Amino acid sequence: MAETLIAPAPEARQRKHTKPLLSVDGLVKSYPLHRRGLFRQTVAGEIRAVNDISFSVDEGETLSIVGESGCGKTTAARSILHLVAPTAGAIRLGESDVRATFQRDRRPEVLALRRQMQYVFQDPYLSLNPRWSVRQILSEPLRVHGLVPAGQWDGAVEALLERVGLPAEHADRYPHEFSGGQRQRIGIARALAVEPRLLICDEPVSSLDVSVRAQILNLLAELQEELKLSYLYISHDLSSVRFLSNRIAVMYLGNLVEIGEVDEIFARPRHHYTAALISAIPVPDPARQKPRDAIKGEIPSVVRRPSGCVFHTRCPAALPVCSQAVPPLAAPDGTHAFACHNPR
Amino acid sequence: MTDQTLASHVPAPKPAAKPARGIWRQGWQRFARSRTGMLGLALVLLVVATALIGPFLAPFDPQDQSPMLDPGAKAPPSWTHPLGTDRMGYDVLSRLIYGAPTALAVGLGAMAIASLIGVLVGGFAGYRGGTTDEVLMRFTDFFLVVPMFVVILAVVRLLGVAIVNTPFESVPYLNLGVIILLIGVFSWAPIARMTRAEFLRLKHQEFVEAARCIGATSGDILFRHILPNALPSLIVIIALGIGGAVLAEAMIGFLGFGDPAAVSWGQLLYFNYEALKVAPWASLSPGLAIFVTVLGFNLLADGLTDAFNPRAKA
Amino acid sequence: MTSLAAERRAAAAAPGQAEAGAPQAPVLVSVENLRIRFPPWNAPLKVVEDVSYQVRSGETMGIVGESGSGKTLSSLAILNLLPPPARITGGRILFEGEDLAAKSQAQMQKLRGRRLAMIFQNPGYSLNPLLTVGAQLAEILKIHEKLPRAAALQRVEELFRLVGITDPGSRLSQYPHEMSGGMKQRVCIARALLCNPALVLADEPTTALDVTIQAQILDLLEELKQRLGMSMIFVTHDMGVVARIADRITVMYAGQVCETGDKQAVFARPSHPYTQALLASTPRIDKSYAVDPQGRRERLPTVGLAATPGQSLGGGCRFAGRCPEAMPECSRLVPQAAAIEPGRVVHCLKRGSAGVPGHG
Repeated sequence: MAETLIAPAPEARQRKHTKPLLSVDGLVKSYPLHRRGLFRQTVAGEIRAVNDISFSVDEGETLSIVGESGCGKTTAARSILHLVAPTAGAIRLGESDVRATFQRDRRPEVLALRRQMQYVFQDPYLSLNPRWSVRQILSEPLRVHGLVPAGQWDGAVEALLERVGLPAEHADRYPHEFSGGQRQRIGIARALAVEPRLLICDEPVSSLDVSVRAQILNLLAELQEELKLSYLYISHDLSSVRFLSNRIAVMYLGNLVEIGEVDEIFARPRHHYTAALISAIPVPDPARQKPRDAIKGEIPSVVRRPSGCVFHTRCPAALPVCSQAVPPLAAPDGTHAFACHNPR
Repeated sequence: MTDQTLASHVPAPKPAAKPARGIWRQGWQRFARSRTGMLGLALVLLVVATALIGPFLAPFDPQDQSPMLDPGAKAPPSWTHPLGTDRMGYDVLSRLIYGAPTALAVGLGAMAIASLIGVLVGGFAGYRGGTTDEVLMRFTDFFLVVPMFVVILAVVRLLGVAIVNTPFESVPYLNLGVIILLIGVFSWAPIARMTRAEFLRLKHQEFVEAARCIGATSGDILFRHILPNALPSLIVIIALGIGGAVLAEAMIGFLGFGDPAAVSWGQLLYFNYEALKVAPWASLSPGLAIFVTVLGFNLLADGLTDAFNPRAKA
Repeated sequence: MTSLAAERRAAAAAPGQAEAGAPQAPVLVSVENLRIRFPPWNAPLKVVEDVSYQVRSGETMGIVGESGSGKTLSSLAILNLLPPPARITGGRILFEGEDLAAKSQAQMQKLRGRRLAMIFQNPGYSLNPLLTVGAQLAEILKIHEKLPRAAALQRVEELFRLVGITDPGSRLSQYPHEMSGGMKQRVCIARALLCNPALVLADEPTTALDVTIQAQILDLLEELKQRLGMSMIFVTHDMGVVARIADRITVMYAGQVCETGDKQAVFARPSHPYTQALLASTPRIDKSYAVDPQGRRERLPTVGLAATPGQSLGGGCRFAGRCPEAMPECSRLVPQAAAIEPGRVVHCLKRGSAGVPGHG
């Protein structure tokens, strides 16, 4: 079952004058499958949640990772943040080697690294401690990182609330007293408290009402401009992705199948999965219901990955080679990379 | 998304006129709406009041056997003795009153010990997982399996024999203390299991991940994040346990293994059950007292379950 | 199966009418002034207030709204499946000549599954995990049509084929947990169609599914619409989905209807300020959002969307608190239906509705 895994070609960088803030190289996250015997556990296989992906995020830009369930985008985000330990790969944030820092596990270094990248969670209801007031929630990062002396916490908390558009008087309320959109703002405020450079947003608007989404998306755009943040935006909702991103990466079953500038990807998707994904999204305009690029079948189980190109079982343009060899991620024209033997 | 609950109809923070403060206040408001809970609370407060103030108001000293002379042993209820006298000439009411602090001491004391051990063991096992979890849980299983009563009876009997002619003999309420300790030691296992379950559940919650993301230490997470969220379930199980401990002590006393120096309802039953036909008041009164106390704590636990569970029916 | 299709078409077309473009099909369901309340009964929460709409035979009515709009409750009311303690306190639901709101649970049980069917949001939760899918669906046929087991299973297999389940024979003996989300939803659709219902209610049937699977299910529903002439009420929060699947649209906000009309008309010329705000603020995948040379991105228009979604509880139009075009009387008067085009109705004082003083 030896497959030829060619290292993906590094995708060229448009803006030569900015250097990448985050660079991920060959990230792998796999979970061993145990078979439980009476006395021992044997390893019976593995689940490759993230299979050798590489990308970079420049300062001030938004890279979105899109995909459906099982594609590994959330696992990738958690691996980058080291909420789970990656199995393999190199992750650099600024000047630091992320994996090495966490392996050495020296608290000042770990804290400094955690300061630079923060996470905005998907579920505004579960990501805030229900028994803490907003003030406590927002003071915690200040306390842990010692950024601000204790006497000035209140002022800092109020400044954070105002920055995300919430009235400062609400600092002593509890999460259950807020709506979903407001809780998400609190989550964003908590992430901003440590003044990070990179914000990883995991489906931040998916659980919110439609009319609230626009406000949160606008807030994210505003904060990015004001604070020169970089975003790694993870979502399955292509419309919010279109709004917020500079570049998009598409994942399927743990593999990165296409990556490029946002307008280019939407106008000319080269990978069949990307095309299917884009055409599957219903547009809120009855006059523009596009004919769909047919895609059959279900997403295969992560345990039994298809051989060769992981998408070949559902691809309308599959060739015999697709089930035998893994297509490398290549960018023939520099900025738009895709992994397909038979691209569109 | 299709959240049709009432919350989505009043999504904005409540107007400043009524600032609802926190989970505890909300919990109390919900608790107050539960009739069983309030009844339970009333019964528990009754017992507590009896334990605290009763001894000052009791008409007779619990060791006073003078009613033997007038109106005599096993006398029916009268004005001087509202609950009559018992087989050995004690005033039943006074003994009943003095039994309350014993019952509470056992219930609260045993559960304090049980909670301490249980939360520590279960919390540690739940949070650490892996081998630590396995080892601690097998240790807990042992305590779940060992028959509590047999061990306690054996220990109490042996203790009684062993301390004769030792300085320990003069330690007041040693017997009762040992009983409390033993009940506690055999009651921590269910608490450990519940704590472990809660910690397992909570450690995967997103707000705990958020705390790790911010850089909080494990200690921070355990004590500031997880434990406060596990408390509601624990409080319920502890409240139930208090009732159970009182009942356990009553059973031990009824079998004759109680502390002779302490006045306990179980012991009252032990002394008087033979005279049940002749002087029922002497047995029924402590029986009723036990019933009321245990019921009170159980209803309290019921009410607390409703109060802390926000998904209860409107 | 062909009998199903024939029956559908016969029901859909009124006698003596031509095909497309003909005078309209008869009204199948008419919801009139529906009111649903939650306790406490001395000051009840009016979660659905004076909602009216009609669904014609063979047509799909899309009900669009956000959480708290009452869209799910008003469709559950048709089946009398309101979660207690909610209750219908006013209005009528006319279906096949009877008022469903006045029926008892026992009477409704005869209709549910047979004349009225429902597809729920989460297929995992609405299927019994302890029974095979074949057994569950066959049971429905046994109860409603008294079919013997073999005949029932055969009919279930036919329906599985109709909804595009591959290898239907062997699926009959599978359990729900052995199936993917999309497959389970197909089973639920098959279940809804078992007894040839006159009306199918679908409550966000694709929200819990992956995007590509959602597209497959919408394709399937489209196909069933064409083949069987199915009448459907489709509840959703997604404007894109409703633009695909619905024929007519009803937009709801906080328990009140904002506007109703043909899909093309409502999208092309949204009348109610809420509809306008919703359409304007939804990000689109077919639009390129400009970034100027300084890196500043254009914003999504959020006119009509307050930072704290509120509603005026003064008893009038509930959108008045957020409405950019609100007039003082809007929070006092409840806007009634105003016909602005043939087949289109809007509830807005600014757009010409008459106002009735609301009780607060």
